[in-house]
Amino acid sequence: MAITTFSSAEQYNFDIVKKFAIMALVWAVVGMFAGVYIASELAWPFLNFDSPYISFGRLRPVHTSAVIFGFGGSALFATSYYVVQRTCQTRLISDGMASFTFWGWQTVIVLAALSYMAGYSQGREYAEMEWPIDILIEVVWVTYLILFVGTIMRRKQPHIYVANWFYLAFILATALLHTFNNLAMPVDLFSMKSYSLFSGTQDAMTQWWYGHNAVGFFLTAAFLGMMYYFVPKQAGRPIYSYRLSIVHFWALSFMYMWVGAHHLHWTALPDWTSTLAATFSILLLMPSWGGMINGIMTLSGAWDKLRTDPVMRFLIVALSFYGMSTFEGPMMSLKEVNALSHYTDWTVGHVHSGALGWVAMISFGSLYHMIPKLWDTKLYSTKLVEVHFWLATVGVLLYIIAMWVSGITQGLMWRALDEFGNLQYSFVESVAAMIPFYIMRAVGGAFFLTGTVVMVYNIFMTIRQAKQEEAVLEAKLAAKMANAGA
Amino acid sequence: MEWLNWFSRPENTKPLALLIFFVTFVGIVLYVYGSKKRSKRLESYKDIPFQDDAPDNKD
Amino acid sequence: MRINFKHEWIETNIGLMLVLTMLAISVGGLVEIAPLFFIKKTVENVEGINVRPYTPLELRGRDIYIREGCYTCHSQMIRPFVDEKLRYGHYSLAAESQYDHPFQWGSKRTGPDLARVGGKYSNEWHVQHLIAPRSMVPESVMPNYPWLMQLLDQSDIANRMKALRAVGVPYSLTEAEREANVKKFGAEVAAMLHIADAKKNLVEQANLGNYDGDRAGVSEMDALVAYLQVLGTMVDFTKVDADELVRSR
Repeated sequence: MAITTFSSAEQYNFDIVKKFAIMALVWAVVGMFAGVYIASELAWPFLNFDSPYISFGRLRPVHTSAVIFGFGGSALFATSYYVVQRTCQTRLISDGMASFTFWGWQTVIVLAALSYMAGYSQGREYAEMEWPIDILIEVVWVTYLILFVGTIMRRKQPHIYVANWFYLAFILATALLHTFNNLAMPVDLFSMKSYSLFSGTQDAMTQWWYGHNAVGFFLTAAFLGMMYYFVPKQAGRPIYSYRLSIVHFWALSFMYMWVGAHHLHWTALPDWTSTLAATFSILLLMPSWGGMINGIMTLSGAWDKLRTDPVMRFLIVALSFYGMSTFEGPMMSLKEVNALSHYTDWTVGHVHSGALGWVAMISFGSLYHMIPKLWDTKLYSTKLVEVHFWLATVGVLLYIIAMWVSGITQGLMWRALDEFGNLQYSFVESVAAMIPFYIMRAVGGAFFLTGTVVMVYNIFMTIRQAKQEEAVLEAKLAAKMANAGA
Repeated sequence: MEWLNWFSRPENTKPLALLIFFVTFVGIVLYVYGSKKRSKRLESYKDIPFQDDAPDNKD
Repeated sequence: MRINFKHEWIETNIGLMLVLTMLAISVGGLVEIAPLFFIKKTVENVEGINVRPYTPLELRGRDIYIREGCYTCHSQMIRPFVDEKLRYGHYSLAAESQYDHPFQWGSKRTGPDLARVGGKYSNEWHVQHLIAPRSMVPESVMPNYPWLMQLLDQSDIANRMKALRAVGVPYSLTEAEREANVKKFGAEVAAMLHIADAKKNLVEQANLGNYDGDRAGVSEMDALVAYLQVLGTMVDFTKVDADELVRSR
């Protein structure tokens, strides 16, 4: 066994995968903690402590960047490097480039978080990083693209497995979105501050073209790539339908890019744009569910795995949340529904049913599968995976239920008119009505965070156990050698 | 760039979206599901993730 | 002629796959974004709408608005609904944010919309509310912003305006540009938009407006309140023909 490990470590660059996997967990804890904290700030405003550095407005991008780019991004780097090597049966073309993407990406996240707290922000949601950080991202990303494509070109397997298509679409789309959404003019070469190239309506459209496709390609396509490898592997059976994966890949890549403007319904954006976006949003349901069905049906005939294998349960529940939020999304993009839901907590709930339910859970499942393989051992405790699963599930449910109720309540209170046609509620009455739900949301988040901490402990112990096993093995080997020598 | 204005008429967006999407979609579906032989070949690719498993599975 | 197409061409040729994927993901953005730059009516051009760029002081206020992440809780985009008209005023026009680099329409109303907050409250109210929101509105969940009373960094105001000028905001650098601004916005506004006088204009407006109630020095509070007070005040809707507005949409 030690011999095959040795050769597999030689065949593949697992070192980079390990690094990214560990950082994914670190950022998960940091980002989710920031999330719980800002959620608590809304419930108990004194938590802002009159400090500029941790006031809600500055801490919120720290949360979003740490979870999306820190946790999500690191998980994607880790799994994409793992999947591309194993399905192409070849090593990454350059260890140096791989290492550069690691250190570059971690620097990006750290700089981003520090700069937000210091008050540097582009004021564009999910793209708050100022221009010097944006340039670093660009360099890291191009390196990533070259590394990924180069590795595929060197593959020993003639066919490119479908997971890689999704990863590729994600890398390409992210490059495109990042470049065009961050075009800006710096105040001067030594100033962190910049002003975006576009203004007003055009700027809004560009930003939400970016904003929604960050969801579409960063948080969906890429994680579908993850799904297409890790669900079959964990289930021990191939994906349900390869043909379906082809159809839904092209449909998804094509259609996602149209839907961003549904974030701008009823605004000063020309109507035709948001109508077009709404139409495509509805159509998008098909490929989204194509992916979900493909993943879930992989288990068809082996449903008992859901009962026996908590890692499998993470993966399948993630797909269920994916199905749910990709149904909710098109519904919210209908103009009539959007009129009620927009600007409310409902949107926040929707994002989190995708981000916690789908993105985080599929990542947890994949990491639980991958990490023992990387360190050539077994998970320290399956029981703790079970505990994590329930904490996470209860956390997500608490979160999204709180946000549904508060969002719809808010929306209805804002539009309520009395019999004389006057507004029935002042704005601040709607704020006061939200407090219980803000508390409930913070509690849900805390559940989810606790689950993640349990996972970190479990993984820590798994790696420690792997190191001990290795030491024992080496000692045995040394003893054998000594004996043979004597 | 005058032709771009055609897109700006709200009444055109739905048929346009539908047309573009539908033609491409039907093309892909026909291709993918159109022939038995091709289907068989395509489905064979789903075993790729398991092909480098041999060393792994021994333990 | 029979074209023997195989999806495998794509699946086994990473170059082709790159190109096709790029194509698939580019169409949507092109069709939706590109026309916005060519269609004149994206931004309303109607008699009575005379939106001007921000003065140096307002601009610095806007920078602070962005620095503190106000957009994470406040929108600046009123939708054309009855309740929003009653609560906030006339729906927002594209013209009103035409000089906003970046736009700050927002996506969430944890607090109320601010697109037309200008002139609704007194300067004193804003100052007190920003320092301690719950002293004015007990149910508020807004953070306190006591640090806004610190002095405003005015050192790079000219560079900031130059950067904005580079992306299309009509701040004037040359005499010809200044005259063009006089024609477009009137002499008084044009003087405010002249980059050479930026610092002088900034201090003068702060002293004249006395936004933070403290005449000693220009604070960040001066700038932010000046910005809040100008929001949504640039269009006089009594002078705008509503029908023409609808037609221009």
